[in-house]
Amino acid sequence: MRHQTMTKLLSGTALVAALTAFVASSAFAQEAVIAFDAGELGATSYDPVTSSNLNTATSMIYDRLVEQDADQSFHPHLANSWEEASDGMSWTFKLHEGVTFHDGTAFDAQTVADWIPDYADTENAFLTAAIESVEVIDPLTVKFVMNRPEPNLLYNLGSAFMGIPSQAAVEEMGADYGVAGAVGTGPFKLERFDIGLETVLVRNDDHAWASDLSENQGVAHFERLTFREIPDQSTAFLELKTGGVDVLLGIPTDFIEVLKAEPNVTVIQMPGTGISYMPINVTAAPFDDIRVREATGLAIDQEAIVASIYKGVGAPAHNFLISSLPEATVDPALNVTHDPERAGALLDEAGWTMGDDGVRMKDGAPLEVKLFTQNGSEFTVLTQVVQAQLAAIGMKADITVFDSSTIRDEYKENRHQLAVRAYDWNNSDILDWFFSGERLGYPNVSMWNDPEGEQLNKVAMEGSANSEERIANFTAYHEYILSQHLMVPIYQPTTNLAFNADRVSVPDPVRGTRFRSQTVLDMKPAE
Amino acid sequence: MTSMTGTAARMMSGFGNTSLGRAFGSILGKVAGGFLVLLLLTAIFAPWITPFDYAAQNLMNGNQPPGWPHLLGTDQFGRDVLSRVIYGARTSLSVSATAIAISITVGMTLGAAAGYFGGLFERCVMTVVDLTWSFPDILIALIFVAIIGPGLTSTTFAIAIAYLAQFTRLTRAQIVRLKRETFIEATINLGAKPHHILLRHLLPNAIAPVIVVGMLAIGDGIVLEATLGFFGLGAQPPTPSWGAMMSSGTAQLFLSPWVIIFPGVVVAVTVIMVNLFGDELIRALDIRDRIRGA
Repeated sequence: MRHQTMTKLLSGTALVAALTAFVASSAFAQEAVIAFDAGELGATSYDPVTSSNLNTATSMIYDRLVEQDADQSFHPHLANSWEEASDGMSWTFKLHEGVTFHDGTAFDAQTVADWIPDYADTENAFLTAAIESVEVIDPLTVKFVMNRPEPNLLYNLGSAFMGIPSQAAVEEMGADYGVAGAVGTGPFKLERFDIGLETVLVRNDDHAWASDLSENQGVAHFERLTFREIPDQSTAFLELKTGGVDVLLGIPTDFIEVLKAEPNVTVIQMPGTGISYMPINVTAAPFDDIRVREATGLAIDQEAIVASIYKGVGAPAHNFLISSLPEATVDPALNVTHDPERAGALLDEAGWTMGDDGVRMKDGAPLEVKLFTQNGSEFTVLTQVVQAQLAAIGMKADITVFDSSTIRDEYKENRHQLAVRAYDWNNSDILDWFFSGERLGYPNVSMWNDPEGEQLNKVAMEGSANSEERIANFTAYHEYILSQHLMVPIYQPTTNLAFNADRVSVPDPVRGTRFRSQTVLDMKPAE
Repeated sequence: MTSMTGTAARMMSGFGNTSLGRAFGSILGKVAGGFLVLLLLTAIFAPWITPFDYAAQNLMNGNQPPGWPHLLGTDQFGRDVLSRVIYGARTSLSVSATAIAISITVGMTLGAAAGYFGGLFERCVMTVVDLTWSFPDILIALIFVAIIGPGLTSTTFAIAIAYLAQFTRLTRAQIVRLKRETFIEATINLGAKPHHILLRHLLPNAIAPVIVVGMLAIGDGIVLEATLGFFGLGAQPPTPSWGAMMSSGTAQLFLSPWVIIFPGVVVAVTVIMVNLFGDELIRALDIRDRIRGA
């Protein structure tokens, strides 16, 4: 009551408002503002089961059965231990005791049994496709009966898409789940979600089941986290510099130098888990001609791009997977490398002859194509270099810059030819995600649907009895994709984050494969 | 009758060389006008006077400070900033001038018809036109971008619509005022048709303030084009536009400030010069009251 009166009395003047803001900023030092990676912008839901685009805040709302570390090993989380049958046809998980959801309901074997079938008929169905049924052995033991061996099961269970939601909340909210609310067992609860703007999380004071990747086994050090979506990296950088943002995720390489020069900013560089690339729409002429597609790939000088605009940070990409994956080791002849002479020869052969103005012509029509990109300097800068390199082989590319959600609509409408994109995923099943004939438009921006490809996809996704077979099958699928020239790999960035050391401290190296809940648990307010 | 010849004669001569000459008369007018003429020539002859190709990249020569041979330095792609600023004049001036020309044509037609015919027609036109004034320019631009995609066409239409209300209101006010003049009443009584009265007697007498406001609007249009370009809604890369150049420069603000400073200075100076010259023109034409009247 007294507090209310005080508030009313004070709220009148601007001076007091400013004072309150000042006091608030120091009194609530247990708050942190984090700006998402540009690649994570535009998530429309926090429902891990149905959404195909999740941001890193998802990992803080939900816990997973297992967690993956940077060395690719798997660690217990909501599952204390697990065992795979020798034939790979069943998996048994022992669950952590005493775990409760944010809504107070208990997490147990029945939760898992109710949750897994929800994936059927969603975009994410591939994650659980190998699971025939889930049996509850006792309240803390659950058994997955498999319809085929799945060497990738632990990876799937550790991905953000397999955070475990409260079944009671999912039932209650129905189709609104993930937008109106999201209820997990994670170290933070969802307080507010303004799509495209910001997400506010508050601490889950009951959380006592952190994975062993975090040093902190209790509740998080921060009471409140605000995740902001800032599309432009320069703006995000200025926000960090001026104190509007405490942690900046996914900094483009060209900013590292500038950030390191700031006295209060600390930069953490991690091995990258993604690729920047240029998908080619195989249904749009002239790219229905494989020779034109191959020539397009040969036009791009990955080494020059890394050396110049990325100042040597990161690595060139010559195929579709990050080099730390075994499936990235393919027949060297299939790797995409710079060879403008051969590009010219291929275009000549395809009937595109060099015109006087430096643009190739065929049947009186110029070789003019659409090159789509997203706003934000990390995309537009690379796109302009790509444009110039394509011009060097006589291909005139017209750039159009879209925002992240409009560009997906354009893909789905099949209005694109070339695009500059990036993905962040450290598993070879990304090949299925971007090249499966079942996802034409988006994510299959290449619009590729080929019987042999579908066959190799099926074998890779479902036909492997163990890890070795899986590697061989995915390598074969990867090689076939490369042989069809569906995209041009360009760059493997490092993953970088920066934080304001006057405000917060982020553990270096980060826990796990990327900045997720394990790292956030160990993140502290600066002293 | 004396009033008619007096007004008409002043209006007609006001549009002739004498007044333009008078606008150039003062030192301020000479400087501003001279700058604008120079800028116009630069824009027209851009392909012949730029030292480098505005789109030619040289990745190994990026972010070079001003010096030789790149007088204003290079951007992060190693492109010559001077050449891009010169070409940017072309983009900015042509978009702004085209947009304002559309605005004037449509605005004068609507305003003249509304002012002459009056009644319900006038109220409808003015309501619709005033409505466009209530939307922020950026929002209008976004609507066009959503319909026809980002690019200079959307920018042009957005600027044209943003300034439509101004010209419609201005023309209407002139026509309403002139309609009451004796020489118009005389013409009506002599049996002239509406189109004859509008085209021969009303519009020529109403055009001088419109031209001046149009001149000033071109300055505003340049700023609006730069704003839209800054947000990526205008010229698509690598076409240089001053706004887009500043936008891409923000990423390198602390490493290579020249990429953002030069286009910024050019926009500022151009707009100041346009306004100064506009003021001189108003003075020379002696129409300050009539512009205020709108």
